Parts: sequence; structure tokens; C-alpha cells
Amino acid sequence: MLDWQKNSEFKAYTEATEKKVGSFLEIRPEAPRTQGPLAGLAFGVKDNIAVKGYKITCGSKMLENVVAPYTSTAVEKLQAAGASVFGKTNLDEFGMGSSTDNSALKQTNNPWNPALVAGGSSGGSAAAVAAGIVPFALGTDTGGSVRQPAGFCGVYGLKPTYGTVSRYGLTAYASSLEVIGIASRTVVMSQKVFEIIKGEDPRDQTSVEHTPGPYKAVKKIGILKGLSDLTPEVKVSYEKTIAQLKNLGYEIHEIDLYTLEYVVPTYYTIATGEASANLARFNGIRYGLRPAYSENPEQLIRKSRSEGFGDEVKIRVMLGTYVLRSGFQDQYYIRAQKIRTAIRRDFDRAFASVDLILMPTFPTQAFGRGEKGLSSFQQKLADKFTCSANLAGIPALSFPSSVENGLPVGMQFLAPAFEEGRLFEAAAAFEKTFPAPQAPEFRNWWS
Amino acid sequence: MDKNELLITATLAQIELKEGDLDRLGQEVGRMLEYFEKMMEVDVTGLEPTTHALVKKNRVEPDVIAESIYADAILEGAPELEDRFITIPNVL
Repeated sequence: MLDWQKNSEFKAYTEATEKKVGSFLEIRPEAPRTQGPLAGLAFGVKDNIAVKGYKITCGSKMLENVVAPYTSTAVEKLQAAGASVFGKTNLDEFGMGSSTDNSALKQTNNPWNPALVAGGSSGGSAAAVAAGIVPFALGTDTGGSVRQPAGFCGVYGLKPTYGTVSRYGLTAYASSLEVIGIASRTVVMSQKVFEIIKGEDPRDQTSVEHTPGPYKAVKKIGILKGLSDLTPEVKVSYEKTIAQLKNLGYEIHEIDLYTLEYVVPTYYTIATGEASANLARFNGIRYGLRPAYSENPEQLIRKSRSEGFGDEVKIRVMLGTYVLRSGFQDQYYIRAQKIRTAIRRDFDRAFASVDLILMPTFPTQAFGRGEKGLSSFQQKLADKFTCSANLAGIPALSFPSSVENGLPVGMQFLAPAFEEGRLFEAAAAFEKTFPAPQAPEFRNWWS
Repeated sequence: MDKNELLITATLAQIELKEGDLDRLGQEVGRMLEYFEKMMEVDVTGLEPTTHALVKKNRVEPDVIAESIYADAILEGAPELEDRFITIPNVL
């Protein structure tokens, strides 16, 4: 068993790797535990999930010095199962972004190429796993934030069914969409961790207990008709994946999800509306950065929020405030919630004829920074394949599908609610033909 | 979105916008709002709004007194204390 506190070779590796990748905001490993199904494993925790005694910055100047007074349910369960917290991983501020470059505190680089982003918002979690520092890490997925960085870094990324994993101890961004998820090196690790962290929690009103019905093995996989907007590399990988799934004996059926072109505006209307309400608490009085000087309480709040929040957070809070303004609610927020119903029905209809749906995780591979990257608007449009699962509440798993031009590509399976088992089954079958690729120059300490 | 609308929204969101912010952030907000117009294409007649995808009922906890286990840890995190009270700025 690796003793990460004493093994000097591992400590030197971690230090050197962190200089290149920068996946952690805080590294403070607990001692290895010896009892339990996850004994001897260390894990990363996205820095919007509470671990008592560790900071919980959410990647924001607003909360730069806040220390969590309690531990989230998901982390508590992992500790009870024998796993140890290794540290807190970097993220886009409050989980808002697709690159982790919106972190106000640190830059995280893609282990495959440090000039590229790790993806986001759980970029630190995916990068830490890809760089071999930890075998798994918790992230959060509101619109693709575990799956997309997992795809960019060449690891597995699970977004569980909404409500199956308690959100107690998770800093809220968009409460009706977000869920704690898992970045991992193998499918079996994802499954093990999910089995441990799931379950109803009296401390999370929206958590659900579900008794599964008889398990249905995966036979039919749906693919989308007329898929466009993919880069050539992602398209090649998508076609290879379909061919490989056929080789593995799965039936491939073309399906039509007519709501897909409306998921991004629907998602951003709902997510920003909820964000504007959830982030109202960061005002320099109850929580958050307190300005050095202010003349009156109103000015104190405005200064706190203007100095404490980064651009992307301000954009989303203002957008959310606008769509919830009286007079505009029917046009935006209520309409989006109605379209959300149509999206759910669309998936129900699709799952009547197939057991799983296959889609690319993201239309591009990891992108660069500045002019070589995607603008904030382009990044939002590219959430098209991921955010549909959050709107419908269904589970999805991103898996490494191939390496093209030296960079990994991720595909994802989507399943009906509570059918994570199908995701693991098909991803494990694919994994036998293509296991998670190793980023060059890095080493996996956990195999 | 015109400048006036943006300023009203920023005031409601309790965010102060400096001159440079107005253009930069205003443009992003405006572009997204324009994009939201796409939702007008969908016929939503007869569709009930979804507030949560899978939560079917409100779950309530029994109303029993439990011990608060976080008080000391929370007090430790407060920037300023007077005995066991948290000192906050004048908000009145």
C-alpha cells in the first residue's frame, strides 16, 4: 500500500507534478486508513465541497479564507469506507465555467499539454486523477462539470442521477441541476465510490432513496441522427466508438432528440436564475469578502460582491437576476421550466426504444488559452451534449474513447434515472478494449 | 440590452459596474439574452413547468430538538467576536 505521507518518491513526484499541472488548491493529506472497502486510497475533493478543517474557497476571492466547520455527507461516507482526503482541487469560480481558468486563485493545466486547459469546472479533480496523484476525486456536475474535464484529461467522469448523492456540504450554484460526481482512473473505481456515496440523507431535502427494479442488461444503444458541430478529431473518435460498440455486440439504433437544440438556452436560463438566488448570501455580512471601508450597508454589500466575484460569476448573477425580474419571468424562467418538461419527455421517449444513449461529451478536445481557446459564449454553446442530462436529472458517464493527435477524447453514455448500472456495464466492456490512456510523462501510482 | 436596463439589473443583483465592466459584461449578458430568444420557437402549450427533475414530494423532518454540533467551529471562522457573539458591520 502506498503511504503517501511517508513515501519520499511519491512526495517528490507530487510536488513536481503540481508545479506543472496545478490541480490542487490545498494539499493536506490525511493519514492512510486501514479498514474498509476503500482502505489505502487517497482522494481529491473539489473545493466547493466541505471537509471540516480544510478551506472551502469555491475558487473565489469571496471565500478565499473560509474554513469549513463541518464535513459533507459524501466525504464523510468515503472516510468511513477507509479512503483519506488528499487535498482540495481547483475549479472554475463557484463551478461556473468549462476550463477552470475562471478560478480566481490558481491556474490548472491539462496534464496532456500544459498549454491547454484541463476543462471545467471540476478541472482540478480530473487533472489530479489524470496526473496519477489520486485514483479518484469528487467533483460536481451542474451542466457537465465532471464529464467535460474528465473527457479533456482522459479519465472517467460520472454524473449520477439527481438526488442519489447527498448535496449536504456542497456550496449551492444551481440547486435543481447539480450533483456530486466522480472523476476516476477506472470504471470499477467509479462504481465502487458511487455505491458508497449514494443514498438518502436527512440533511439534504432533495436526496432520494431508490430501490432498483430488476436489472436490464444493455443491448441497444441509441446514437443521434445528424450529429454536427464536432471537430474532426471528436468525429473520428465518435465513429470509432460506434464501430467498437458494434464489435462488442451492442445493437446501434439511430434516435432523434428534437429538444437537443434547446437545451443550452434552457439550461442557462434555469442555472443562472438559481445562481442569482443562491449567491445572494455572499454579501460581506453573512459570508464573504468584507471591504476595508464602506459608508453604509448598501455600499458594503455592493463593494463586497464587486470585489469578491470574478467576471463570469457577475455575468451569470446578472443574467439570472434579469430572467427572474418581474415582467420577464414568463418569457424566460417559466418557459425554460416548461421546455425542461419537454426535454424529460423526449428522453423518456428515447429510452422506450434503447437502453443507453451515446453522445460525445464535448464537441472539441481540450482547448488552448486566449485566442487559441473558445470564447466564454462558445464554451456555453458547447455544453449542448452534457447539460441535457442535468435538465432531465438522468445519469451519464464520460469515458475515454481514443487519443487523437496526442490528446484524449471523451464520449458519454446516458441512462434512464437510477440506471447507473447500465453505464458501468457498457463502459467496462469498452474499457477492456481501450483503458484510460496514460498522459505522457506522468505515472499512475494506484494501479 | 440597453445601458439603463443593465444598470437596473446590476442594482438588483447588488453588483457595482465600473465603466469598463459596462461594455465587457453588458455585451456578454446581452448576447446570452439574445440567444435565450431561441426558446420562443418551442410550443410550450400544455406543458407543466419542471422545478426539480425527480423530486416528487416535499420531504419533512420530524420537529425534534437536536444538539448543534457546529457552534464552536462556526465561531472560530468568524472574523470578529465579542464573547460568543459574532460582530458584524452596522447593517441598519
